[in-house]
This record gives sequence, structure tokens and C-alpha cells, in this order.
Amino acid sequence: MIDPLVVELSRWQFAATALFHFLFVPLTLGLTFIVAAMETVYVTTGRTIYREMAQFWGKLLLINFALGVATGLTMEFQFGTNWSFYSSFVGDIFGAPLAVEGLMAFFMESTFIGLMVFGWERLSKIQHLIVTYLVALGSNLSALWILVANGFMQAPEGAVFNPLTMRMELASFAELIFGHDAQSKFVHTSIAGYVTAAIFVCGVSAFYMLRKQHMELARRSFRMAALFGVLSAVGVITLGDALGFVGGHAQPTKLAAMEALWRTEKPPVGFNVIAIPDQQKMENAYELQIPYLLTPLVTRSLDHVIPGADTLVAQAKQRIVSGIEAVGALRALQDNPEDEAALSRFLAHEDDLGYGFLVGAYAPDQDPTVADDAAIERAARDAIPSVATIFWSFRVMVACGLLMLMFFILAVIYTLRNTVERQRWFLGASVLMLPVPWIACEAGWLVAEIGRQPWTVYEVLPTWMSVSTHSAGYMLFSLAGFLLLYSIFIVIEMFLMLRAIRQGPSSHRPTGSAGAAGETALAAPVRSAEV
Amino acid sequence: MGTLIRFVVFFAIAMIVIVLAIILGDYGAWYFAWVLGTVMIVLVSAAGGALLDTQESEKTEEDGAR
Repeated sequence: MIDPLVVELSRWQFAATALFHFLFVPLTLGLTFIVAAMETVYVTTGRTIYREMAQFWGKLLLINFALGVATGLTMEFQFGTNWSFYSSFVGDIFGAPLAVEGLMAFFMESTFIGLMVFGWERLSKIQHLIVTYLVALGSNLSALWILVANGFMQAPEGAVFNPLTMRMELASFAELIFGHDAQSKFVHTSIAGYVTAAIFVCGVSAFYMLRKQHMELARRSFRMAALFGVLSAVGVITLGDALGFVGGHAQPTKLAAMEALWRTEKPPVGFNVIAIPDQQKMENAYELQIPYLLTPLVTRSLDHVIPGADTLVAQAKQRIVSGIEAVGALRALQDNPEDEAALSRFLAHEDDLGYGFLVGAYAPDQDPTVADDAAIERAARDAIPSVATIFWSFRVMVACGLLMLMFFILAVIYTLRNTVERQRWFLGASVLMLPVPWIACEAGWLVAEIGRQPWTVYEVLPTWMSVSTHSAGYMLFSLAGFLLLYSIFIVIEMFLMLRAIRQGPSSHRPTGSAGAAGETALAAPVRSAEV
Repeated sequence: MGTLIRFVVFFAIAMIVIVLAIILGDYGAWYFAWVLGTVMIVLVSAAGGALLDTQESEKTEEDGAR
């Protein structure tokens, strides 16, 4: 028997570690490319100020990278320790991208980041620039693989279930990698990292400009980050819509939750700007709507019907009944693999097997084959994830995205006119913008992951079945340990970052490097032929 | 006022770009778009830095001429 409390604690533990981990990841994804852009200018113009910039932001990147790797390591182990049935069930598919991700992150990325940090005096300019681009590519490619794995959980493609081994097996690696969810999710997440890094660089540069410190570095960094950010913000909003479009088709329950859409209505349906969802009554206690907007937004048509929660619950009931048949046939097959009748019965209901598993959480002895109508009703309603959480997380993310786009547009206007350092209110606002991308990223992950519930692999494997058979006490102890450890990591990160920012770029200048005489000199081209 | 007008114009352009990308997007070849987009973002950002240097050089020359 699986203890529901253990399921909840396992979810909390993974959510906590993932949310902590993703405080570090987006900055690494974006800052690597911003540093690469700075170094590109250094190599092409020979102006040492850009080398100074690349070294300074590279140091902040290194602090963030180290803690990102540390927090990411434990997550990979958690699949085995806390989600052992899940790992056994989809390990053949999930393991491959996870292994490649490990290789990318810990071999390619870590090797090249070492060369990047310590190779300034040992590599030629071109060699060092290539290394910096490889760090950027490596960090984003490691994200690619974990998002391919996550894409499979959201919309399982490229795999088949083997009833004899009770495991999913990889059928097409290409389908796994090029799944629509994986593609749009990777690009959305990667570019969200670009936006995060751009806000970070703008915020810190604005801090320097407010204090009239390191002006040469701050003005150039702000300019480059503003341009980097405005294009990225347009990209992240576009890809957010693409991900919503893909997700809306692959996961209609998530879409219904994101839009607080309880009833299937005649299209075109209105978009709920604000709503107070009541999950128990399956209705909104209050809603403020823009008429006709939702249908074209998520279907690109005016007459496509978007299923509401009522329709999805009704469909889930039918699929649960069918899934119970599949579970019964599966058991018969495990008793006798040669049973042809059981095999044909299983194949007839195979698509609904996950729903058969789902109802087990509410059935006596967690046995789906003895589930009564009440259990089926509860499981069907359980197929709709927490609407209020997803609805509001989604809106927070979108609001943050639009706010950042507006910020970057203003930043570009001011910086291209070379007046940004005189706009003190805007510099203050830039510093205040610092937490916004992190709020957006965390809210986005809440939408993605809570929106997938009650499944670990959508419509294939329910969350309640995926966990290990730990005791609740063990889970509580390890959860508390992780929260404590990760909180310490955050404090360390903040301390190191703030210290490095307060010290500024001058303390990172390597001994004997050009431009040590002062900032004006730094802006001058290098005379030596370093290439 | 000039800043506000510029902001409105740029925001409108951004929105048009987003809507066009959304219409053309759907099940797009997003990996390919990422490669192209990242290269463009990096190059535009780098060009912005180089442009600042040019603006400063011109300003220094103008100040010197006076």
C-alpha cells in the first residue's frame, strides 16, 4: 500500500529542490551568452574594457554555476530514491536524456568553464572566445536534455508500453527529441534564461551607475544587456504562446486549469483576465472576461471547441472504466503471457491504462479492478489539476513577461540615446526589477508541473503510483534536510554575489593585464597582437 | 513626450512581431529558430556595445573640435 502522505511529501520534496535549483539555472543559461557577446566585442575591436566586462560577469557566472550544479546533482538522485517506480516504469526513455544531460553539464560545461575562468592568460583571444561559446552552448545543451525528458513527461511521444515487462520502452529517439513539447519548452526556457541574465546585468549595472562607480563597464554592460533582453523578451513571449498552443492540444486539462474554463462553451470563448476559481463547485466565484479572445489565442481559429473541465471529467470517467479493463487484462497477461484473449483485451483498452492506474488511489486496497462508482467519480475529478494555483501562476508569469518587455524597451530607448545614467528613477527601477525574472521562471514551472497533475507521465503513469515506499518520517526528515541545505546554498550565493558586486570589476583584473591603469585606458584598443 | 512616443511605437512593433511569430509559429521548428535567434541576439547585443564606443568617439571628437 502506498501512503498518500508519502506521495504528498515526495511531491513537496521534488518541488522544493526543483524550485531552488531553478533559481540558479536561468542566470547561467543567459549569462554565458552575454559574456560571449562581450568577449566577441573584445576580440573584434580589441578594446580591453570588454575583456574586463567578460571577466567580471564571468566571475558572477562562475559563482552561480557552481551552486546550480550542486543543487542539480541531488535532483538526479531523487528520481531513484523517491520515485523508484517511476524510474523503473519509464527509465528506458527517461534515463537516456538524463545521462546525456549529466555528460553535458558535468563534462563539457564544467571542463570549458574551467578553461574560460583560468585560461585568460594561457589561451589566445580566439581560443578563449571559442571556449566561452562552448560554455554557453554546453549549459544550454544540458538544459535541452533535461527538457527533452520533461517534454516526455508532459506529452509522451516516441515510447511504447510493454505489458510483459510493465515498462515503457523507447520506440523512437527522434520523436523523443523532436517532440513538440520538448522543442517549444526548451526554447522558451532557454530564452527565459536570457531574459533573466539581461535583467541581472541591467540591474547590477544600474546599481553601479546610481553610485557612479565603474561607469565605463556599467554603461556598456547596460547597453548590451538591454539589447540582448529586448529581443529575448519578444522571443520568450512568442515561445510562451507556442508552448501554450502545444500544451493546450497535448494536455487539455492543463489548458482548462490555466484558463479557469469549467464548462465547454460555444466558440469563440472569452479569456478570463481575473477569476476566483472554486474547484469544489467547478465554477468561478468571480470572473472578469475579455469576450471571444481565448479561442483564437489557443486554437488559431474562431470555431474550434475548447473542452472545459466538465467535458474532461466526463471523458475521464469513460477512460477510467476502459482503463480498469486494461488493468484486469494486464494482470491476466502477467499470470499467463500466452493468454491471447487477455492480450487482445489489453490492446483494446491499452490507451486508457493510465486511467485504470489513476483510480487505484481511491479504490479499496488500491486495487483498480474493485473500484466503485464513487472511486471513479473522485478519480475523474482528480484529473483536473489545482485550477486556482495554475490560473494565478500563469497570470503572474505573463504579467512579469510583459513588464520585462516594457522595461527593456525603455532601457533600449534610454541607452541608445546615451541618457540612461541621467535617468535616476529608471536606474532605481532597474535595480527593483532584479527579482522579476526569477518570479516569472518559478511561476512558469508551477504552471508546467502542477498543471501536469495527477500524472508524472501524462495519461500514462499517475503520480500516486510513481513514488518509492519510504516512510512518512523518512520523507519529512529528508525534506527538512533539503530545505535547510538549499537555504544555506541560497545564502552562500547571495553573500558571494553581493560581495563580488560590491568589489566591482577592478578586483578581478588579472595581474599585468592591459588597461590596469584606469577605466579610460580600458576603453582603448589593445595594441598587442594577441590573436 | 518624445520618450513616450518612442516607447509606444517600439511596444507596438514588439507586439506586431509577437503576433506575426504566433501566427507563423504553431508547431514550428523551434530548435532551428533557437539557433538563429541566439546568434542574432548575441550579434545585436555585441553591435550595441560597439555602437556605444563609436558614439563616444564621435562625441570626443566633437568636443575636441570645439
